[in-house]
Amino acid sequence: MNKRMLKAAIGLIVLAGLLVVPRFVESPYALHMMILLFLSVSQGQSWNILGGYAGQYSVGHAAYFGVGAYTTMMLMYSKQVAPWVGVWAGVAAVIAVALVIGSICFRLRGPYFVLASIAVAEIMRLSAINLTTLTNGAEGILVTEIPAFKIGERVVTDFLTKVPFYYIGLFLALLTLAIAYWVQHSKLGYYFQAIREDQDAAHSLGIHISVYKNIGLVISAVLTSLAGSFYGIYVGFVDPPTVLGLDVSVQIMLICIIGGMGTIWGPVLGSLLLVPLSEALRSNMITEGLVKIGLVSADSKVGLFLKENLAHAHVLIYGILVVLVILFMPDGLMGFVKKLASRRKREAA
Amino acid sequence: MAVFLQSLISGVLIGGVYALIGIGLTLIFGVMRVINFAHGDIMMVGMYLTYLLFTLMGVDPFVSVLISFPLMFFFGGFLQKVFINRVLNAVAQNQILLTIGLGLVMSNTVMLIFTSDYKILTTSYSSSTIQVGGGVSISTPLLVSFLITAVITAALGWFLLKTDTGQAIRATAQDRDAAQLMGINVSRMSVIAFGLGAALAGTAGALISPTYYIFPQVGGTFTLKAFVITVLGGMGSVVGATLGGILIGITESMSAVYISSGWKDVVVFVLFLLVLLFKPSGLMGKSRT
Repeated sequence: MNKRMLKAAIGLIVLAGLLVVPRFVESPYALHMMILLFLSVSQGQSWNILGGYAGQYSVGHAAYFGVGAYTTMMLMYSKQVAPWVGVWAGVAAVIAVALVIGSICFRLRGPYFVLASIAVAEIMRLSAINLTTLTNGAEGILVTEIPAFKIGERVVTDFLTKVPFYYIGLFLALLTLAIAYWVQHSKLGYYFQAIREDQDAAHSLGIHISVYKNIGLVISAVLTSLAGSFYGIYVGFVDPPTVLGLDVSVQIMLICIIGGMGTIWGPVLGSLLLVPLSEALRSNMITEGLVKIGLVSADSKVGLFLKENLAHAHVLIYGILVVLVILFMPDGLMGFVKKLASRRKREAA
Repeated sequence: MAVFLQSLISGVLIGGVYALIGIGLTLIFGVMRVINFAHGDIMMVGMYLTYLLFTLMGVDPFVSVLISFPLMFFFGGFLQKVFINRVLNAVAQNQILLTIGLGLVMSNTVMLIFTSDYKILTTSYSSSTIQVGGGVSISTPLLVSFLITAVITAALGWFLLKTDTGQAIRATAQDRDAAQLMGINVSRMSVIAFGLGAALAGTAGALISPTYYIFPQVGGTFTLKAFVITVLGGMGSVVGATLGGILIGITESMSAVYISSGWKDVVVFVLFLLVLLFKPSGLMGKSRT
């Protein structure tokens, strides 16, 4: 059996395992964690297509995430449009937004592009706050009832448990993975990489720079919008800071950067690290763990301080991770793993 | 007319403080070609420093500048030496990410210490005004902070133009390699430039703290404003940043009066995009290479 078949076999086994998880796992919390993981993978991977492969560092992906989430939620809230229809309205809106942003921002390079992408996302956030008749302003939109999904008369799912969300999330994560794989191995992907490595050289080879940058942006934006709509429906609530804030943009790119940019498995690795970590911090598991192994006592000053504050510290940990990754592993976890693997190979040879 | 004059004056006054933030960012960019995404967060640290000095020792915010300027200078120098210096030759993206990371660490550390509650620094003159006639009044704290800004900007101009160190900094900004060949210690100039940038941002933080809410996430908005100001004035140009700051101050206060205060930041960002599109070198910048 050659290496390729082995990889395919492992992939199939993991996939089969993921497909049957909801049959054996009943805990809603475990399913919730898996859903967050899928969401994070699809966010990171969508960013990866533009940022990792084409080298266009957007720090404004919240614009696409938020526009997707808001469109779906607004339609569901005020027009009772079913979310599986609203999602496509979100995609259409995001394509329009992306093309406008692309035509403005892609005239700019490097740091100027980064600044423009932030400015556009901020304009979106401020508009969501100010257009109160459409978006409910800073209060946000709360939709708790999702209509049952029927084919003909048969009810496929009524969205009452986490199971349908699990499968939608899994599908979304696999979709973004498949598209990233396709991008990496297609002519399009080679064009992207040529643009990333040297824009002027790519241009002189006859690659139409702005067309390909816009293609990359639209693919990335549409996938991000799907993730945004999924988030909105799953949580049932959107407001400007949680889906359009600068933090959202930064977190989306961090998944990919910590994992490793321009690689298929980078965003997966990044999610596997970041999602459990921030969840453990948020639910105070780390403090309880420290108490359990006897490092701090629960009612000492330190213990109380940790209990009170560590839940808010997950962004601090993100910050520390970014600083460490940039200084010591500039190619992310994937780059680090690859380096270790090649070193081992050399030693074996 | 009175409304127009009123918003023009308050625009210019707040613009002076914006200019300080912008000058700091542009100085750092000029010398190191690094865009400091933590600039607003450094300013936020300056605000909390002022808050601490005021609540613990009763130091007046405007007097505290004398303490916070040197402290923030060392803080900036430390950041440069330990972190920024390692990525000076890395790709621009990694520099940006590093400063974003540092900003997150700063704002969240402050949040752990002070919680995310809004703090207000109330002085005896926080809401006092001076009537100038014609129905126009000037806020006293804004006027004082503008005067301090003017003094600091003038001193900085003198430092950059007349002193040896200042000239060395400008030479480094103009051509790092050539400056090094001329025997200028460019890595020291980088530390000084970052220190000065941080000190200016911290001072700006101190100056606005009597009139602005203090909270850990305040930095983000100011980082963005600082970018708008520097791009408007031309990246790397100190005069440009001063003009840009005042222009943004006026734009903000005018659009708050004539459009609505909710949309004033949108107006600023749209202006920013227009400048990026049609005159990316800014008002005073030379063309990009």
